Formats: sequence, structure tokens, C-alpha cells
Amino acid sequence: MTNTIQILSIEKTGKESSLQKEHNNNSIKIIDGYFFSRNLDYQKFTKISKLISNDVSQTILTKKNVNKVLSSYCNFNWVVEIKFLPGVTDNIATTVKEIIKDNLKSSFKSFELGSTKIILIKGRKEDITKISKNEANPLIQTIKIYPFKQYLNKFKKNQFKIEKVKLPKKKYSKKEVNLDISDYHLSLIGKLGIEENDKSRRGTLGLDLESLKTIRNYFSTIKRKPTDVEIETLAQTWSEHCKHKIFSAKIDDIQEGIFKKYIKGATEKIIQLRKDNFCVSLFTDNAGGIEFNKDWIICHKVETHNTPSALDPFGGAITGIVGVNRDCLGFGKGAKPIANTYAYYLANPNKKYQLYRKKNKDPMLPANFIAKGIISGVRVGGNCSGIPTPQGNVYFDDRFAGKPLVFCGTVGIIPKKIKGKLSHKKKANPGDIILMTGGRVGKDGIHGATFSSEELDPNSPVSAVQIGDPITQKKMSDVIIRELRDENLYSSITDNGAGGLSSSIGEMAKESGGFIVNLEKVPLKYNGLYPWEIWVSESQERMTLAVPPANVKKVIKRFNARGVEATIIGKFIKKEKAIVKYNKTEILNLDMEFLHEGYPKLNLKTSFPKIKKEKKKIIKYSSLIDKLHKLLSSPNIVSKEFIATQYDHEVQATSIIKPLQGEGRVFGNATAIKPLFDDEKSIALSQAAYPQYAETNPYDMAGCSIDTAYKNLIVSGANSKKIAILDNFCWCSSDEPDRLYQLKEAAKACYDYAVAYQTPFISGKDSMFNDFKGFDKTGKSVKISIPPTLLISSIGVVDKISHLTKITPDDGDILLVLGNTLNELQDSVYYKIIGYEKSKNPVVNSKDALRTYRNFEKANKLEIINSAIGIDLGGIGIAVAKMAIASKKGLTIDLKLKNKISVDQFLFSESQSRILVSIKKNKLTNFKKVFKGSDYTIIGKCTGSDVVEFKDNKKIIRGKISDFAKSYKQNIKGL
Amino acid sequence: MNVLVLSGYGINCENETLHAFKVVGFKGKIVHINDLIQNPKQLNDYQVFAIPGGFSYGDDTGSGNAMAKKILTNLYDQLIDFSLKDKLIIGICNGCQILINLGLVPSLNKKDPEVAMIENKSGSYECRWVDVKVNNNKSPWLKNISILNLPVAHQEGQFMIPINLLKSIKANNLIGLQYINNHKKLAKGQFPFNPNGSKDDIAALTNQNGNVLAMMPHPERAFYHYHVPNWQNNTSKKFGDGYKIFMNAKKFFA
Repeated sequence: MTNTIQILSIEKTGKESSLQKEHNNNSIKIIDGYFFSRNLDYQKFTKISKLISNDVSQTILTKKNVNKVLSSYCNFNWVVEIKFLPGVTDNIATTVKEIIKDNLKSSFKSFELGSTKIILIKGRKEDITKISKNEANPLIQTIKIYPFKQYLNKFKKNQFKIEKVKLPKKKYSKKEVNLDISDYHLSLIGKLGIEENDKSRRGTLGLDLESLKTIRNYFSTIKRKPTDVEIETLAQTWSEHCKHKIFSAKIDDIQEGIFKKYIKGATEKIIQLRKDNFCVSLFTDNAGGIEFNKDWIICHKVETHNTPSALDPFGGAITGIVGVNRDCLGFGKGAKPIANTYAYYLANPNKKYQLYRKKNKDPMLPANFIAKGIISGVRVGGNCSGIPTPQGNVYFDDRFAGKPLVFCGTVGIIPKKIKGKLSHKKKANPGDIILMTGGRVGKDGIHGATFSSEELDPNSPVSAVQIGDPITQKKMSDVIIRELRDENLYSSITDNGAGGLSSSIGEMAKESGGFIVNLEKVPLKYNGLYPWEIWVSESQERMTLAVPPANVKKVIKRFNARGVEATIIGKFIKKEKAIVKYNKTEILNLDMEFLHEGYPKLNLKTSFPKIKKEKKKIIKYSSLIDKLHKLLSSPNIVSKEFIATQYDHEVQATSIIKPLQGEGRVFGNATAIKPLFDDEKSIALSQAAYPQYAETNPYDMAGCSIDTAYKNLIVSGANSKKIAILDNFCWCSSDEPDRLYQLKEAAKACYDYAVAYQTPFISGKDSMFNDFKGFDKTGKSVKISIPPTLLISSIGVVDKISHLTKITPDDGDILLVLGNTLNELQDSVYYKIIGYEKSKNPVVNSKDALRTYRNFEKANKLEIINSAIGIDLGGIGIAVAKMAIASKKGLTIDLKLKNKISVDQFLFSESQSRILVSIKKNKLTNFKKVFKGSDYTIIGKCTGSDVVEFKDNKKIIRGKISDFAKSYKQNIKGL
Repeated sequence: MNVLVLSGYGINCENETLHAFKVVGFKGKIVHINDLIQNPKQLNDYQVFAIPGGFSYGDDTGSGNAMAKKILTNLYDQLIDFSLKDKLIIGICNGCQILINLGLVPSLNKKDPEVAMIENKSGSYECRWVDVKVNNNKSPWLKNISILNLPVAHQEGQFMIPINLLKSIKANNLIGLQYINNHKKLAKGQFPFNPNGSKDDIAALTNQNGNVLAMMPHPERAFYHYHVPNWQNNTSKKFGDGYKIFMNAKKFFA
């Protein structure tokens, strides 16, 4: 009899060797453990062990062999046992259960099981504690460290245990909340949550006093008290996350708010100017859609998952990416995800910030743990879902120490018409059944939810963070896209994201009128959830469908045949009422109008911020070559190849411009996929953000982001008339007038540049409070705010394969810089690392920029351009170095400058809207014809040697390409 | 000529795999594993059985293991039957891991799996292009091929083979593909030419008949010329190297 199966690899695994290397300790072994809630007899133990292990590469531990097997490695003295906390998604356990169910059929029923990582070590206890901290996250896992002898003992005495979610047994009775109380008590409900019968509070609702008073007024007019479910629902629906109150608020003299005026306003203006069919579906759906070709639409959406990633980097990032995949699935009648994008804004992984959420306790995770976790979360999410992840970037700055920014994006594709009907139009009809499909509902993501278990310290609250389950989602997604959508079996579909069912059903019901939901029908991960918890839970991998009654049986059958659950939980109705029942008791009954539009509108004021200019010291580097090396190896320029190679960018066989470019593998600014086998059109993707420019001038910062994101697509070969952009504002302290001023300025620039470039915003999202309030290691209170960050993602259509450019010049090519280089070193990488005093920040001149871009596009179509790279961080110097590294071909650069700028200004200024291009010698005349009247400078040529050389009147300075490549490909310390 | 391309539970390369077969002249269908279990007789309609790449069951309990166990319990005899006929089976990446876990390759003693797929030596997922060569293997899949430039994308691509078995594998010429370096010599375990540390640079194995091929690299992702990195430097050809594998399948039945 035993209740555990433990398996170890005979040979050293990759994980073991990296762990050994990291801790400089060769005596580390990892065991895959499975703990069962029931005892297994010998026969079952043998059968199950065989099902989940490999005879050739692994050994199964038994009471008999454990001592002998383990002592053959070394004399371990410590054991670290890492388990998921009860209720946290355990994907391995789910698979094992499925294997057992599938292969042992009915012979082994009703059991619980948990997967465990057991690390055996020989070493000192201090080291072991350090290792365990690096391998587990106390928010989602329990870590136990005990002597090896005790481990053997546990093994012999069947003492390995799993903890189940133990929720207090409770009978639900409808709970009414009294709002006729003092302002002070009312605000407590908003801040701490609804009071339970035992006087404890549920956790913050994020409702301010004014909102609560609005709710009180509503209920006094309908002459009854609100239920707890109603208040929870209103709190969710009215949250900043769902309603974007700041973007829609009156701000200074802008009545309609900055979203309507500047973002949507820009797109409306552009549509009016363009008069074409490029924009298909904007702002209203889960993602924004544009025309790809005459038969297909593509959509794009970018989300942020910052707070979850700060708490649990892996879980936060994986749910970020699979979550935004669902936004695609929920676009129109369901678009197939065809590419993922990512952008991470992180603290320096090599630094120890030592921040605490509470005085001397509740530490922030270390910066490198956060960085690694985020990178792997998106890896597992993307790779397991079979969606290529070609496009992304990473940026480091100390100001992200309190809150990392994690942007996850997805591109999808859908036929324009399905069975003769426009696919981007959907409408839940009165009478349609509400079908929830995919994963089950648990306490995931509920505010401040606390799990009770035997082992948890009751004083340590666990806010439940979710871990994604990409396989469950993949199974569900396959059914929707392949087996339901094209037969028009459902009338509407949306994703369950923030706010869970309350939000997805609430949104869809706008199409029909209202809804009735029976919450007791919702399948749960474990019993004991309160109705309000079921209603607002953010458990992942779920979609909500509106299905005409006649199709329901068929739809459920198709899901079930693929191992996916689908459950009827209510129906859409015509009456504009939101009604929720639990075992026939009505627990929510609100007017749809009040639910969606009843919240009090904000009225915001801005004020001009005081700019603190930091004085930079000038560090002396002996030569130009040293400076180049210094910049090339700096974290924000150094190659991100290690991410590109762990993200599968080849799946679906669409990758056409890859993240690593040229024989020398330079991490590109833009990538392209060719999504259809029978059309040569491809989709180019890029993105840009300049948080480092924000404090100096937020307007110009936003201009630079739009310009760079747009430029990168022009450079890649996209058709300038088929480029769309997405805005993701990540701001800080958005209740402070100076931050709001910066926001307004940035939004204004969005309007100006989008309209100038005629590139519409098609989708966006904002996250307004990325601030950390806590303590440093001395117990002093600190506030760390991110720099205002506007990520612009760009998506464009490349009409022909031959339009796609490369970044590698050929021998004899002439090198030219298109656009004007000014002394704009302020806030540049050079400024940060080397320092420079009298300089301006980069400003985009859209007229000049457009002239350059139009000419480039023309020249590229005429095959005048042989290679091209957008100039951004680190200026011309870095662009030149990248071209040389990518092509492994020498370049010679002329430094006899005509303008009144210094060599350093010329090489490292981050002036915008510039492109470094190479052309064949014999194309120069044609080039000059196309670029007549436009700014360009011939700066040198491609020699094909093994050095990059810089020449002025007096001397020639040389640097070997292989040395530059070494600097550029340096590992980022701490990762 | 009909190809059955398997899908379900996280397999994800079925579309592009079927496309590659179709372009060279096959007819075919993507069939969900549950539908195949429901009606295994449909296998009679097909000449090629392809298990494409993906992440079946999220690689939990070892890549390919859970899907192999599902097949073992429900379809094993039918698949053995298929392999003994004049038919072809290919497993690519996750498909390769499934075939190895099923023991269909190298299948020297016809009992339990003899080879294991383990984690890459680097400990990380590797998505990169590699060169592989064919060494004296008589498999119809590899006929007239010398060198191929293909992408790999896996976390567990290392073939683990007991020494004695490796000897017989070599004696029987069952090594399908081997990683080579930039001088076209065996990579000898050197990263990144050998991306996973596989012993003897093994990238693919076959059974004795050669009709079953288990390969880690993805031929369907190197099908057209524009799939190949830096293709702009060479636009004369229409297809990439992966095309040759699918063409060989066609030629086998032609």
C-alpha cells in the first residue's frame, strides 16, 4: 500500500544541470512526485506507475528500492518539497487523472491527486533555503524543507499528503446589504468589502463613496435592499478595468473624454478621410478587425497582465497570453489565433531591490525571478497552444521594480463571410441558450480570496492567482473554430476574462436585451463557492456562447466528443433585465441600463508637471569603438535571441520574416507571417514604446512610439494604406493632476500622428495605476511608479512576397540614411549610459517622416532598396553595427559631417523617422530620382571585409564584426 | 493515395502537415483521435498515417507519453497492423515522441519501448534551424536525400538509447537523420548544431522496414522556399528541403 508515486530520471536532466550550474552544486536531483488522496494497492501502483513513467529513462521509487536508488547518486541530506496550494490549477495532475481514467477505465474511481516537485540536495541549509526560494512562489506553492532522513521515513510510513480545498460548509441564504448607513461605513464597504455575518470582510470592491451612493439611490427608487451579488456585480462592471472610467471621464475642457476625442476620434477622422473598406470592426468587439484580402479579415488585440505577473510571474504571464488568445476567439464569430506578440518592461534582473508590501514582511519577488517567470509563462502558453510567437521585445528600467509591465497580444484570422453572413457581426437573440464551455469555475482571481487548508498559516492571506491551462483551451478552441463556427451553430460568442460570467454575459446581453442565469448549473472545481463567487470568478479557459435552442444538443455533443465540457447555464431574454438565480432564489435583478451606464462619471483636472531633470555625468570612454561595445552590450540593445529561440515562431508554417535575421541572427524590429497557403499576402507586425522619453515630454514620447511602430512596418515592406495600430496605455498615479496632464498630452499626440499617418487605432486597453506602495529593506515607506508607458502595436498587410525586405547588405552596396539626424540625445541610450548635457529629446516631424516613408515604399516596390533597417535605440551607430553583425559583412562609414553636429551626435542621436538602407551601386541614379527633395545622406558602403570602419579626414577607426557580435550577444546578467 | 493526419488533445501541426501532403499529390483528412478510436476501421482507407507535431497533453508525464498510452490502450493493434503493411507512418516532433513511446520505432524486439525522449541538454525549449544528413538509411521516406535544412522546435528532443540497443540500431542502419555542423560533418553533440545533445547526433530513427519514420525536425515548416531563413538571398527555388520528405512518400506509391 502506498499513496505516492515518485519518479526520477536516470540521467541528469536539463533542469538538473541548470540548477546544479546555477548553485554550483553537483549534488542536486529532482523527483516528479504524485500524491494520491487514496491508498493504492500493489497492482494499481504498478499499473499507474507504468502509465506515467518511462522504463528506459526513469526509475520508479518504491519503499524497497528508495534507499538504494537514491544513495547511488550521493548522500543527500536535505529535501525540498514543492506543492501547489489547494485550488491552484495543477495541469500535470489533470493529465495524470485523464491518463488513469482513459486507461484503467472504471477500476479506479473518485480520488484526488496532486503533482509535486521534490528536490534532493546535499549541502548546507542556507543554500537549500536559497534554492527553494528560486524554485517556488509562496503565493501559489507550499515549500517544505526537511532532512533527507525524514523523507525516507515519510516514504515508508505513507506520510505524503495532498491538501484539498476545504471551504467551510455553508448553506446559502440570500444576503441583503444595508446601504442606509453613514458615509464612513459606506466607504468601508467600498474599501474592505461586504461584511460577512462573522464581521469579517470579503476584500476590496474598489467602489468609491460616490458610486456607493449612486447604488443606494438606485435601490431606494426601486424600494428594496441590494443583495450581495448585486453589489459585487456592480463593482466588477463599474471597475476601472472594465469601464475605463478615466479614459471616458470629462477631463479639463474635454467633455467627451480623451478616448472619444483622441483615440476613437482619430479613427473616425481617418475613416472619413480614407473612404475605403480597410477598417472592419473597431473598439466594440474583443479585438479590432481589418481587411486582409477580399475573403478574409484579420484582428489584433493586446492586453496587459501587470498585477498578476508581479504576484505570480509565470501564472500571470501564461494567463495573459492564453487570455488574449481568447479575445481572438471571441472576435466576431470566432477568429483563429495565428500569432502572439509580447512586450515586457522589467526591472534590472541583476539588481536586488528588496521591496516589501508590508513593513518587513511580504517581500516582492526578486527581479530575476519575475523576469524568468514572465518569459516562461508566455513560452508555455504560446508553445502549448500551437500559436507562433514571432514578435516581441524586452526593456529594462529600475522604475519597473515595483510593477512589471507584461503586454500580450494575439492576431487572428476569420473568413469575411460564414454561410453568407458577415462573420464580424454577432447577436445573441432573445431565447438563445447561454452555454459556458471550457474549464470549470473555482475561486480563481476573486479579490482577496483566502483558501483554508491544514498547512497554511491562517494569517497569510492567499489572493488566488490563476495558472493557465493551455491544453484545455486548445481543445475548446479547436472545436469552436473547426467544428462549430463555419456551420453557424451559435449566434454570439465572447470570452470570460475579467469579471468572469458577470462581465461576459452582461456584455452579450446588450445584444438581446437581458438575461436569466441559474448559477447552480455552473460546473465547479470544488464545492463550497458562494453564488457571488461563481458569478465573478475569473477562472480561465472559458468562453460563453449564445446558442439557438435547436442547436444546443448538437453543440454540446461536439464539445463533449473532444473532451470539453459545455453547460447550459441560462438564457438571453428580450426584456432589458439582468436576472441571476441560485436554486430558484432570485439573487440579482438589475436594469441593464443601470448595470452598464449607471456609474457616476468622473470629472478630472490636469496640471503641468514639474520636471525633475537629472544631471548626467559624462563617463569617458576612450574610443568610438568602446562606446559602440558599451551600447551594444547594454540590456536594452543586446540581442533577445534567448527569448526568440524558446518561443516557437515556426508553428503553423507561416513564419516568413523571422525574429532572428541574417546569418548573424540579429533580433529584428518587425516580423512577418504568411497566414494563408493560397495567397502571397503576409502580415507584418511590430511594436514600440518609449517610457524613457515620457517624463521629458509625453507628447513627443507618444509621437515617437507611433512613428517607430509605423516605420518598422514600412521598412519591412508593408503597404502604407494597410497599416493599423493599437494603443496600450500603462500609466501611474492616474488620480494625480500632473500624471493626468501627461496622459492627456500623450493621447493628443495619438490623435495628431495617427491622423497624419492615416493609420487607424483599431483596439486598445489601458491600465492606469501601476504604482507600488510599500517599504524598502529598512522599513521606510516607498512609492515606485512606472514611467508612463504607451505601447503602440502595429499590424500591416504586405501585398507581395517580393516587397518583404531584409536587413543584410551585399558587397559593394552604398549605405544611406533616410531622414534627418539632429542633436536629439536627450533620454537616449547613449544619454543613459555615457551621458550628455546639452541636447533635445527626439521629436517627430510627421511631414518629413511621411515623405521619407512614401519614397521608401516606392523605391522598395521598384526594387531599388537592397536592405533596410529602422534606426531607433542607439541611433545610426547601432543600426550600422546590427547590419554588419547580421550580414557578417564589413561596412565603412564616412564621418566627414556636413551638418553642425558632432560625431557622437551623428552616430547615437535617436532622431526619429530614419531608416538605414543599402542599395546596389547601379541603382543610385534611380534612387536619387525617387528621393528627390527628400532628406538623405550617403554614409558609406558595404565592403565585405570583417571590420566596420569609421573614417574622417584624419584617421580610420576599426572594429571587428565578430567582436561587435560578441558584445551584442552577451547574456543579460541575472537571466 | 490517402493520408490520415491525426489531431486532438494539443496536437497542433495538423493543418500544415496535411497541406504539405496535399501539395505533392495526396488526398487526405485530419482525423481526431477520438473519432479514430470510435471507428478504427477507417484506417483501411489510408496509405499514410501521420502524427504531426504539437504538445499533446502539454507534455505532462513526458512528451508523447500520455497520447502514446491512449493509443496503446485503444488503437495499438490496428497501428501495428498498419505498420506491417506496405504503408507509411511518419511522426514529426511530438509525433516522433509518440512513436518512440509506442515502441513502433526502432521496434527491434517488438516489446515495450526501447528508446526514450528526454529533455534537451540546454534545459530549454529550442526553436531553431539545423542541418541534418541521411546516413545509409534505406527508408522510403529518406530516399535520395543527403542533407536537409529544417527547423526544430522542442523541449524534449534528446534520444536516449541503451548502449547495446544503439549498436543494433547502427548495425541495422536505423538512424534516419543526424545533426551536422557548418562544415557538413557530424555535430558531435556540439550546440547549436546538435540542438538537444542527442547521442550520436540522432535526429530521427526508423523501424527495420524503413516505412515508419520518427523525426524531430519539422519538414512541413521548411516546405516552401520562403520558409527558409534569409530566403531573400536565394529566390530561385520554389520549395524548401522539407518538400523532399513528402515527395518521397508520393514516389513510394507512384
